[in-house]
Amino acid sequence: MTEQACRECHRIVEGLVCPICGSSSLSKDWTGYVVIIDPKESEVARKLGITLPGRYALKVR
Amino acid sequence: MAETSIFVVKTTANQERSVANLIAQLARKEKYDITALLVPDVLKGYVLVEAKAPEIVEEAIQGVPHARSVIRGASSFGEVEHFLTPKPAVVGINEGSIVELISGPFKGEMARVKRVDIGKEEITVELFEAMVPIPITVRGDHVRVLSKDEIQR
Repeated sequence: MTEQACRECHRIVEGLVCPICGSSSLSKDWTGYVVIIDPKESEVARKLGITLPGRYALKVR
Repeated sequence: MAETSIFVVKTTANQERSVANLIAQLARKEKYDITALLVPDVLKGYVLVEAKAPEIVEEAIQGVPHARSVIRGASSFGEVEHFLTPKPAVVGINEGSIVELISGPFKGEMARVKRVDIGKEEITVELFEAMVPIPITVRGDHVRVLSKDEIQR
């Protein structure tokens, strides 16, 4: 199954509901991929406003 | 606290995500000082790694399949910042532009752009070959711009 991204928080989700924001608005149509390991130290996470480690999409349609 | 820099890892084409996943997995397991990995779609064959030193990245990619090498030198965050806000797919397409459809049932057909919807990243085109002009709405990334100028007839 292709991975889906949450339209709200851009997190790459396995399943039908985003475990972080609880949204069921998911999309298979996403581009750009970011893995955040340490959000406190990461400049990328700060810029994207990400506070939790995980896998994210840059753009979700 | 040392500042992080961006290091570029060369990978096999189309294996960027699997390389990023494996590096992330290793970084968590071995406690490497890697804070984030970035795979922009426009950058084929490369993974951007945010870390504190190039040696950390060198060590992390050892044994990772499809990760080839670390490009010498570091980039500042400002140099890669534009990858974080991808441009809409319809940038560079104007009303009147001549485009070629590159996917879908009309693949290979030439068309003229009639309308551009930046919000939805869609364009409405009219095919040249069609007997009657029927507007067709397609995604902005499903066309290739052939000519940006409006051809006067």
